[in-house]
Amino acid sequence: MKFIKYLQDKGLIISLYLLTNIFTIFMLSAFKTDKNLILAILFIYITLLIIIIILDFNRKRSFYNEVLQNIERLDQKYLILETIEHPNFYEGKILHQIIYEANKSMIEKIKIHKNNIDDFKEYIEMWIHEVKLPIASLILLCHNNKELLDKDYLHQLRRLDNYIDQVLYYVRSSYAEEDFLIKETFLDKVISNIALKNKDDLLENKIDLTVDVKKIKIHTDSKWLEFIINQIINNSIKYKKENIESYIKIYATEDKNQITLHIKDNGIGIPKQDIHQVFKKSFTGENGRGKVKSTGIGLYIADKLCKKLGHKIEIESIQNNFTEVKITFGKNNYYKIKE
Amino acid sequence: MKSGEKMQKIMIVEDDQVIKKELQNLLENAGYQTETLENFKEAKKEILKSPVDLILLDINIPELNGEILLKEIRKTANIPIIMVTSRANEIDEALSISYGADDYITKPYNPTILLLRIQSIFRRMENKQNNLQYEDLEIIPSKGILKREEKEIELTKNEMIIFIYLVNNKETIVTRDDLMTDLWNNREYINDNALTVNISRLRSKLAEFGYENKIETKKGQGYILL
Repeated sequence: MKFIKYLQDKGLIISLYLLTNIFTIFMLSAFKTDKNLILAILFIYITLLIIIIILDFNRKRSFYNEVLQNIERLDQKYLILETIEHPNFYEGKILHQIIYEANKSMIEKIKIHKNNIDDFKEYIEMWIHEVKLPIASLILLCHNNKELLDKDYLHQLRRLDNYIDQVLYYVRSSYAEEDFLIKETFLDKVISNIALKNKDDLLENKIDLTVDVKKIKIHTDSKWLEFIINQIINNSIKYKKENIESYIKIYATEDKNQITLHIKDNGIGIPKQDIHQVFKKSFTGENGRGKVKSTGIGLYIADKLCKKLGHKIEIESIQNNFTEVKITFGKNNYYKIKE
Repeated sequence: MKSGEKMQKIMIVEDDQVIKKELQNLLENAGYQTETLENFKEAKKEILKSPVDLILLDINIPELNGEILLKEIRKTANIPIIMVTSRANEIDEALSISYGADDYITKPYNPTILLLRIQSIFRRMENKQNNLQYEDLEIIPSKGILKREEKEIELTKNEMIIFIYLVNNKETIVTRDDLMTDLWNNREYINDNALTVNISRLRSKLAEFGYENKIETKKGQGYILL
């Protein structure tokens, strides 16, 4: 709060006051009052004015400066009310009340919004569980009638299932707060589930899968991790290079503080200008606009889920050569329950 | 399939009619007897009434929750139970396992994998069971050998997986996909060429015991062990 601006603001009142003073002194001298007495009165008037201005300015300055400073520092500005003391002057009280009311109404609005999102999320989750039933039926039907039905049916069903999982995990990554369960998991078991899931696609595309992860234990939510790695494997299959012996190599390295899972393929790779953007939502890049269409959502979700789980995901690639995705798991003794 | 043994009976607790019917087909084709739960109101009583060897229990069933039912059954019976659900969720899985489920599988599942899981539970139960036998050959998976009297021949891990699968499904057609699924399920991620090579090596090893042309190729379908 600046003093000059404050004075400008109070200009009218001060001018009126001074005008009254001049008028009084004018009257007093008209009645031939003693000059000394007039000077004394003038002195009292001026002193009074200065005292009033200083007192009022200080009171307001200490309140408004606190408000301004705090709002500057706050990351969530709507919390300002919690950080300031109750003002002891009328205008301040009004302001306080206004902020309070505005906050209250905003909180109500947010609550409605949150309820809507929760409802929506719940509906999506329920819908996904429902839609998995006909898919499960179709897969069983395909299996039981394999003499009649081509493998392509199964292939399409798997595609459908994968797209549905993307919706599920998109919702989980965006809205769910604590929807996962971190527990000790064998890395090779997670990999095995993913391998089985992609077995047909890998065999049809003649991609050799080698896995070397041994009996390493990590702390994660295995369902979430399965989804994450599945997105990466899907990409490796999608962007394989033609006319070479394609491979996907999965292996793990371990040091004192962390375990890193490497998933490396010899596919078409990612152009240099695109590599920093692959985790961005809806980013498709050069590869995604080419022969294979990409939605640019798989890696985006994978990245978000990794962040929630506390894992680190990185990608390295040289175009026309290889792509390697690394997922790093911390070794945290905090999770370890005494055995 | 398992000639001479009694047929194992599996109870299907599932309210989706199509899945129920197809699951019955799948299990019966694999040589199991099946029974389905019709009265969900009296689920626990109905289940315990009939002597079954394994229960496939859906979590999302009418009247009561599958997890609760599991807990109830566990109070009195020790039958192996595989939980089946469309909710792919670690919390549900942990809960089911803590209530005493033997396995947990999510829909949609790979039917071959479901059969393998069932098989492995049955095998775990009969762990005292003597080694597998094919004709007069003894199969010792732990050592990876085939044996007749003094004569022993070593099989690789892959050959062993393939041979056991064929023996378990003797005289029925086994598709290449079934064999692949079993191999991959055992974390042997081999490709089509390798499977062909393994089969032909297995054939020549069997031939050394005098069992020639026992693994027949059925064109476009798969293999059959005679």
